[in-house]
This record gives sequence, structure tokens and C-alpha cells, in this order.
Amino acid sequence: MRILRIVSAFLRAAILKETAYRAELVGNLFRSVIGIAVAVGGLAVVFSHTSELSGWRLEQAMVLLGVYYLVQGIVQTALSPSLNEVVSEVRKGTFDYVLLKPVPSLLLSSTRRFVVWHVADVMLGGAIIAIGLIRLEAQITFGVAAVFVGVMVGGVAIVFSIWLALTTLVFWFVRVENITMIFQLFFDTGRYPVEIYPFWLRQLLTFVFPVAFITTVPAQTITGREPLVAIWLAPLIGVLALLAAARFWRIGLSRYTSASS
Amino acid sequence: MPPDVSVRQLVKHYVVPERAGGLRASFRSVLRRKHRLVRAVDGISFEVDRGEVVGFLGPNGAGKTTALKVLSGLLHPTDGQVDVLGYTPWDRRAEYLSRITLIMGQRQQLFWDLPAADSFLVNKAVFGINDAVYKRTVDLLTDLLDLGDLLTKPVRQLSLGERMKVELAAGLLHTPRVLFLDEPTIGLDVTMQQRIREFVTAYNAETGATVLLTSHYMADVKALARRVIVIDQGQLLYDGALAGLVQRYAPHKTITVHLEREADLPDLNGQAELLSVDGLQVTVRAGKDDAPEVTGRLLTQLPIADLSVEDPPLEEVIDQVFRGEGP
Repeated sequence: MRILRIVSAFLRAAILKETAYRAELVGNLFRSVIGIAVAVGGLAVVFSHTSELSGWRLEQAMVLLGVYYLVQGIVQTALSPSLNEVVSEVRKGTFDYVLLKPVPSLLLSSTRRFVVWHVADVMLGGAIIAIGLIRLEAQITFGVAAVFVGVMVGGVAIVFSIWLALTTLVFWFVRVENITMIFQLFFDTGRYPVEIYPFWLRQLLTFVFPVAFITTVPAQTITGREPLVAIWLAPLIGVLALLAAARFWRIGLSRYTSASS
Repeated sequence: MPPDVSVRQLVKHYVVPERAGGLRASFRSVLRRKHRLVRAVDGISFEVDRGEVVGFLGPNGAGKTTALKVLSGLLHPTDGQVDVLGYTPWDRRAEYLSRITLIMGQRQQLFWDLPAADSFLVNKAVFGINDAVYKRTVDLLTDLLDLGDLLTKPVRQLSLGERMKVELAAGLLHTPRVLFLDEPTIGLDVTMQQRIREFVTAYNAETGATVLLTSHYMADVKALARRVIVIDQGQLLYDGALAGLVQRYAPHKTITVHLEREADLPDLNGQAELLSVDGLQVTVRAGKDDAPEVTGRLLTQLPIADLSVEDPPLEEVIDQVFRGEGP
């Protein structure tokens, strides 16, 4: 209950803040729509030359792209703003105020900021998934939908964990924007199925930066494609990644409280 | 009643990268970093009773802020024991954090783009303050700090002083029993400094909260603290009444005379030291015991228009303490 109240207070502040800058809000929404339109157009161009890409049909690739935008939207609405705030606050010294609050620092650090207009990415991503599925004439049973949601949650947990772990590096290095940029580069590979990449890169994207679990695996489960790996691995890896990242956060924090001045 | 704050042999050392100025040294430091041990706090002990207002004095880098950060649980000490309200601060228990506040004059916690009232609501949720208590506290703070309509303006539109007032209010919404104020008046103009001081005094009187504050400004300390703790290079130099500090470190008086016309100074027998001659104004310093005799001699041997005998300004006393002079 308390947590809900805290998060909704932050959410309220975020909405107030963004509605205060209406022009920016409209501009951002516009950018979002254009970005997604270009991505879908790009897919259409590729598939005008071929009917299959490493076994993926246009509609299936669209679903995957939708998953990509859905996850990206969730990350950019609710996860990365808070974590980016940690990076800038550690540098400014105002991170101390987070540690002074009677709420676990990890909870506060990951739920404090929202960039509400990115919800548009979530909705557009959902729409692209829906269009892809309709054109596939896919029969989505309740079971398939449940598995899809479970895999998605696992994927988001993995993204969050990686992002959190990279953010935690701030306690050692102070300037870490470049590191989160690298993550974004890897994450961008998730617009396409991992099967299109050469073997070594596919391994890297499955087991090191598990982008495969974030977009390819969820898209496979819902479009009825043969999964790349066992499906239950996705939520399992998600949970393990969360635990590991939370532990790393505690280590970073103890460094912060013992080494800083 | 046990003291609110009890510090025993507190030590905080940390390691910082060190590098010389210049391009070549910078390149070298990228490859091989040199480190230096900073003894920010090096074995200080003191206690603060409930409701006391204590001023922490010291030059830049004396360890004041580090000490406050340890007390508020932000830093683990290298050694020593600290007990605040029965808690060990760096355990950062929620009950502890709900009873204290640390307000840093140079660091803001409010949302920049929003009115302070919106940030207050966030703190209300974070500290789990119920509606009735929240309203009462905001009313009290609005009254004491004269906040008026400041709470409804975006923080970025406030002046530095106004911002400090709302920052103070934000840090006090949960009615903490112990206040750690780190340079609360830094950068403010004299009037605003005065307002903040009056507020701290009134808040202390109203709520009985214990206050530990650091400041560069002697006026702050003079106005606020009946007791001062002086630290330098991590060591405690003095702990006691402000008046005692002057007594101990300035066992002399400053005698200023205004002459009616120019005249030669009498021989002072080495009992007094000439500090300055500025036109017709002459200032000398004499030991406390010698002061009456020196004053008498000046009065009889000089054409005097006006004469005053004063303790030296606190700044001078403190400066002397930091330079390691005095007894």
C-alpha cells in the first residue's frame, strides 16, 4: 500500500511536469510516431525483396518489432528515467537525499521518474503486434497469451537488471553515460530476430547481452514459431538477473557509503 | 535522559585520487593513479542533549560535513561509535531516517520544474505522513518561514533565498527530532541569512528539536548556538560555550581610540601591541590583565575624543584557533 502511494505520488509529479511543457510533449509524441512508422516501412522494404528472412515472414517480423517497441516503451517510461536520475544525482551529490529517505534505496531509485509520453511507444508497439497477429490469422488461446505475458515480464526484468547493473557502476566511475549508450546499441539489435545475425553475434545476444530473450523469444511464442530456447528460461533468467543486479546495487551502495566524502 | 547524539572516537578516513596540475600529469594519472589518504575525521567525541543547538565550526575541509554525513547515516565510519536517538545511523533503519533530517545548503532535493507543494506531496508519501499531521506541519512551517505563495510557484522561478526556505520546509515535513544542517545559509544575502537564523531559533523553541549545524558564517553561530564545537583537520579543538571560546583563545582586548588631533603614541611598555593607525583612529591589543592599565595610560597621555574596549571579533578568534595559536 505504502509503495503504491509513493509510486503514485511520483507518477503524479511526472505527469504534472510534462503537461507543464506542452510543446515538448507534442513534439516527442510526433517523434515517436515517425520513428515507428519508419521502422515498419523499413521492414516492408526488406520484405518486398524476399518473403522470408531467416525463416521469419513479414507479419512475424512485425510482431517482433512491436515487442521491441513495447519493451522499449516500458523501459523508457518507467525504468530508464529513474536510473538516469541516479547517475546525475551521484555526480551532483543529491543522491544523498535518496539515502536519507526511510524507503529502500533501490525501490526509490527505480520508481522515482516517469517519462509519460513514452507510453505512446507502448501503445504503438501493442498496435503493431495486434496488426501482425491479425494478418497472420493467428489463433491466440488464453494459454499462449499467458505464456507470452510471462516471457515478456521476464524480458523486461532482464532489461531492467542490465540497466540497473550498468547504472550501479556509477558508484565506482561517476561518469557512466557511455556505458548505457553501449547497452542501447545492443538493445537496438532486438529490432530483428537474432537468427539473422552471424553465429558468434547470436551467441553474444543470447547469453551475454540476452537481447534474444527480450524480443525474439516473446515474438516466437506468440507467432507459433519454434522457440530458439526453452521458453521457461526467459522468466527464470529474468528473476536471476534481478537478484544479481540487486545484489550488485548493494555492493555499489556500500562502496558509496564507505568511500565517498 | 540519554543524550540525543553521542559520538565516541569517531574516525573517518577515505582514499582520494591525487594528481598534479598540468597536461602531462593528467595523462600520467590516467595510466597510473596515485592515491592519498584523507583523515576527514580523526577521533572526535562529543554528546548533544535533547533540544540543544550546537554549532560545528571549522575551516573548509575540517571534517564538518563528513561528520554530519556519518551522523545522518550516509557514510560508514572507519572507526568509532555513534548513537543518535538510540540508533546506529549507518544501519539506515527506516525508523531512524524518519526521525532525523539532513539539509544541505548547496544541494537541492526539490523538483526543479514543479512548485514545491508537489515535491512536498512526494515527501508526504515517502515518509508516510498522514493528512492531519501534514497539514499542521505545513501550516507551522509556512508561518515560521513566511512561505506565503512560494509553495505554488515552480522552484526554478524562486530566488536563491526563497529556494532555501522551501528546501528547509521540505526537509522538515516529517517533523524530525534531530536536525543536521550543513551550511544552511551559504550564498544567501545578509537579510535572508538573518531570516533563516530566526527560523532555526523559532523552530527549536517551538518543537524542542535538537540542532547540529555547520556554517562558515560567524553571525550564524553567534546568533544560534549557545555551544560550539570547533574541529580542524579532523580533530576536536574546542567544545563548550561560545563565550568560553573567546575567553580561552582570545585572552586579550582590543582598545580603539579616536584622537582629537594627531599625537605621538605613549610608550606602552610592551604591555600592548599596536594593531593599526588609520588617520586619527588607533587600535592596540593588550592582554586582559593589562587592559585597564593600558587604557588608563592612553586616556591620560593622549588627546582622546572616544575610546572603546572590546573582545576581538569572533572571526579573529576562530582564525587564531585554526592557525594553532593561543594557549
